[in-house]
Amino acid sequence: MLAVLRRELRAYFLSPTGYIFMGFFLLLSGFFFTYSNLFQANPSYLGVLGSITFIFLIVVPILTMRLMSEESRQKTDQLLLTSPLSVTGIVLGKYFAAVGVFLITLLITCLYPIILSFFGTIAVWEIIGGYIGFFLLGSAFISIGLFVSSLTDNQVIAAVVTFSALLFIWIMDWVLSGLPTDRVSGIVFACMLVAGVAALVYFSIRNIYVCAAVALVGLGIVAALYFTNEFFFDGLIVRSLEWFSLLKRYDNFSMGILSLSPIVYYISFSSIFVFLTVRMIEKRRWS
Amino acid sequence: MVQVINLTKRYGQHIAVDNVSFTVDKGEILGFLGPNGAGKTTTMNIITGYLSATEGSVKVDGFDILEEPEEVKKRIGYMPEFPPLYMDMTVQEYLNFVSDIKKIDRKTRARNLDRIMDMIKIGDVRKRLIKNLSKGYKQRVGLAQALIGAPQVLILDEPTVGLDPKQIIEIRNLIKELGKEHTIILSSHILPEVSAVCERVLIINKGKIVASDTPENLSRRLGDTGRLSIRVAGPEKQVLKLIGGLAGVKSVESTGAREPGTVDILVEAEKDIDVRRPVFYALSRAEYPILHMKPIDLTLEEIFLQVTTQEREVS
Repeated sequence: MLAVLRRELRAYFLSPTGYIFMGFFLLLSGFFFTYSNLFQANPSYLGVLGSITFIFLIVVPILTMRLMSEESRQKTDQLLLTSPLSVTGIVLGKYFAAVGVFLITLLITCLYPIILSFFGTIAVWEIIGGYIGFFLLGSAFISIGLFVSSLTDNQVIAAVVTFSALLFIWIMDWVLSGLPTDRVSGIVFACMLVAGVAALVYFSIRNIYVCAAVALVGLGIVAALYFTNEFFFDGLIVRSLEWFSLLKRYDNFSMGILSLSPIVYYISFSSIFVFLTVRMIEKRRWS
Repeated sequence: MVQVINLTKRYGQHIAVDNVSFTVDKGEILGFLGPNGAGKTTTMNIITGYLSATEGSVKVDGFDILEEPEEVKKRIGYMPEFPPLYMDMTVQEYLNFVSDIKKIDRKTRARNLDRIMDMIKIGDVRKRLIKNLSKGYKQRVGLAQALIGAPQVLILDEPTVGLDPKQIIEIRNLIKELGKEHTIILSSHILPEVSAVCERVLIINKGKIVASDTPENLSRRLGDTGRLSIRVAGPEKQVLKLIGGLAGVKSVESTGAREPGTVDILVEAEKDIDVRRPVFYALSRAEYPILHMKPIDLTLEEIFLQVTTQEREVS
């Protein structure tokens, strides 16, 4: 894992990718810092961190687009996958390399609060908390980019799809407010989920009986839930999709609150996408 | 050393490798011969653990590729058809990276790398970026990569593709040299290459093994001295008639005149009969000088034709 990590880090700074990522990130964050802190003589740095989260939409695809896709295009994945490394080690090495570049960039932005501290006292612990949240949020976005990059061997497609996925997460809260919250729609949504899982089972093992069994069990669970706790279906769509709302959980950090649940959430979100990437690569061997 | 048992690989409806079984003994050099798309690369990818088989199993040194992949991968050096090179690294950096992922001890690394670079003659390009190297050097770096960690088994997928004739000979000699210490499986679609290097040849076509033998036996079975190309200074009709009348000549045909006053003819002999001497005496008696005479090597297509029809006759 360390070997892959080192190679990826070097690759970032031997190609323009690392510099474009850092340059763009620092340019925009510097602009926001200058404008809202320095020009306005405003000591609240957390506000800046909160308002620059949109940069992720643009810079994360740049950072992650070549991670896995370039390996399969250049056929270098043959070297990695036939070496005594585990797939998990390879994927983690790549993930931590991207996160590492992000972390280095973030450390440079620490200059901003230090500049602020010359002019008065700043809320050191709140800012550290804010940074932790900001870092974890970025890492979660990077894990999505990593996963998307393992789906294709074309960097451009990886970048565009990552951007779309992040944009969807970005407008999630806004989309959610327009979705129906009544009971019937919740039941329909649950049934669609069951159908989706059954279809997935069918396409992965091609056995109609297992697929039908999964569908029946799923519908049974839906029915059981309806008869035992019908309120479960009220607003089910919104509650399910809210799970993906990475930004909502950043609100706490923005207010200077460091609580455990969003930290755990971000780490598990990233782990799931890293795991999915590993599965994706394993699956490709079997297809 | 390597055991492949009932290996099958399906891509949807398409069968790439169809129930292939063979074993390779320690120290053996096995050639894998087949046209493009015969399943050579797929089989190699499965042995090295890059792909998984649909059915069947692969064992290397007693370890199963699915159950103990790391033990197997430690024992195999793989040079794929397209060398897996990182274009943005120098040769030295790249080989260091490969040593890292193969978990080679850092103390002995420098010495090992020097030895490998000496053997493959890439020491003079060690500081250069891989993307600036010529195809021949890239191929060699790919081979060097496979040798790192002194694996017991080397798997080389078309190691001489894209090289110039001098480099091809160098690489072949190198492979022979390596065969003293390693078990080697190499694939090719060029018959002379396989017969020059390998002790045993597997011919594979459409995912199936159609023949397995030593190169000498294969040549004998296929009778590749059976056809001669001859250029004679003399009138076409008389020459054809003369040779056509010799005992042991199955057929004779003219392939046209390439030099004024001469004729090129193709002679096919009966099986196991050498007609070169009778042809020489007959033509010299008639005072039609032979300008050249050479046996025609079977092309791969013809070998497949022969092997597959022979198999059908046997069964």
